[in-house]
Amino acid sequence: MLVASHWAEHRKRYLLSLLAVGGLMAVWYGFLVLIDHFGPINLFIQYATYYCGLFLVGCFYASTIFSELGSKSRAIQYLSLPASHLEKLLCGILFGVVFFFIAFTIVFYMVDIPMVSLANRIIASEKQHWPNSFLPIGSVGVLNIWNNGWAPIIDRKYHFFLFAYFAIQSAFLLGSVYFARWSFIKTVVSLVAFWVIFILYVQKGIAEHLPDGWHGHDLVRWSNNTENGALASLVVLPGIMERIFIFLMQYSIPPIFWIITYFRLKEKEV
Amino acid sequence: MVSIRDLSFSYKRKTVFKGLDLNLQPGHIYGLLGRNGTGKSTLLRNIAGFLFPRSGRIDALGFDPRRRQPAFLQQVFLLPEDFYLPPIPISRWIEHTASFYPLFNIDQFYKYTTGFDIPMQGSMQEMSYGQQKKLLISFALAVNSPLLLMDEPTNGLDILSKSQFRKIIAGAVDEKKCILISTHQVKDLENLIDRILVIEEGRILFDQTIDAIAQRLSFTLSFDPEDTARAFYSESSLKGNALVLPNTEGEDSRPDLEMLYKAIILEGEKVNRHFQEPPPAVRP
Repeated sequence: MLVASHWAEHRKRYLLSLLAVGGLMAVWYGFLVLIDHFGPINLFIQYATYYCGLFLVGCFYASTIFSELGSKSRAIQYLSLPASHLEKLLCGILFGVVFFFIAFTIVFYMVDIPMVSLANRIIASEKQHWPNSFLPIGSVGVLNIWNNGWAPIIDRKYHFFLFAYFAIQSAFLLGSVYFARWSFIKTVVSLVAFWVIFILYVQKGIAEHLPDGWHGHDLVRWSNNTENGALASLVVLPGIMERIFIFLMQYSIPPIFWIITYFRLKEKEV
Repeated sequence: MVSIRDLSFSYKRKTVFKGLDLNLQPGHIYGLLGRNGTGKSTLLRNIAGFLFPRSGRIDALGFDPRRRQPAFLQQVFLLPEDFYLPPIPISRWIEHTASFYPLFNIDQFYKYTTGFDIPMQGSMQEMSYGQQKKLLISFALAVNSPLLLMDEPTNGLDILSKSQFRKIIAGAVDEKKCILISTHQVKDLENLIDRILVIEEGRILFDQTIDAIAQRLSFTLSFDPEDTARAFYSESSLKGNALVLPNTEGEDSRPDLEMLYKAIILEGEKVNRHFQEPPPAVRP
């Protein structure tokens, strides 16, 4: 009932937004096809387009999921609807996280597949070679977001960007409840501030507690170098701890933010 | 139905209520009067669970409002002064919103919208403020919630609509329902409410039924200086001095809410003291 009510109220805005996203992607790909005849829309471009779009649009959209709470009249209408806070949160997550991700991916492929095909036809018709060589430019494949062979190593191994997206998006979802106005900008500022503090803590805070001559490589490896810079000793946390740490980083952040969002929603006063 | 005990509430540094007590019973239409900024809307939002008391306790229909449980929200409807209606057709809004309220009656809704002469075609955003308000009033009444809270419901309504509003509200209340109307336009509530609450300085300054007021106070016009001297409140007019007097004759007098309100605000203690005294003997 709540999902149907949310859809009835917002469907026009959502459909127009998706149309606009698809249009912007088509314009972007069209621009690349026009200016680059040496393999436009290659896998890396598709990869970057997908994730840039997902991060920007997804986070902006998440910051509007509870935008009703920013205005007193809309907040009263929203909070007075006879549904529990949990149902309201789940409805927000369903639209902001699940449906958005599916819809954005569908729109991406609806633009990506024909545009890649168009780029391949241009490459084939112009019989182009790579500059200063006789190697012909091969056709470009369509990006598979689940099998990202072109991605940086960290992403190839852990789907880093996909998990980071869900984590950051959940922070924007919380921001939409926490900040009454300008939630997108305020969440960006908060995340940047949090990131700076985290980096300072990792770089400076932890380093101060290490014995002389020791320094950290990452969150699970520390080493002590000799005077000539050679590695003297290395401390590595057990593999199981590293795997638990990575698992928590991948899967725990969104639920933590959702739980905070739930309590924030429960305590919301208007 | 609603029991408020020792309610304290403040917005950051501004204290609104301090030790407020109030009981609302079913079968009544309450008029909540008070100056601007005395906390009329704040009280309604505390009862509806949109604001939380800093201390004290509110029990509404056996629920703690701040928990905003669905069963509670189905039984309490707040019509706010500033409201929002989504930019969709009325039929779609009704289809998707009414299903949340188990006692919603679609026939009643159409009866009220017809009474208010609301056009049912097009998007709600295309309607004027007054039409939107009348639509929301119709919805609020058709929800049939036992507790209906209305914040300045007549703001934005034209003269005919105000009259229609009084007629519809009077017909909508029954022994199971309680309607609390907050307003500073006391004239709009005349012949409608049966109990008056006046809120002042964070507490309920006055709480009496219209019957008790009619029995204990006299609203009259007089040129007699003696009458003017013993009046709780007097106001000069072309027809003589309009007075709020203690009713010593025991004859019922039709209360003038505006005069009563002024008397309570200016001479609240005196008026309350008068109500604590034994009533005059009823004439045979």
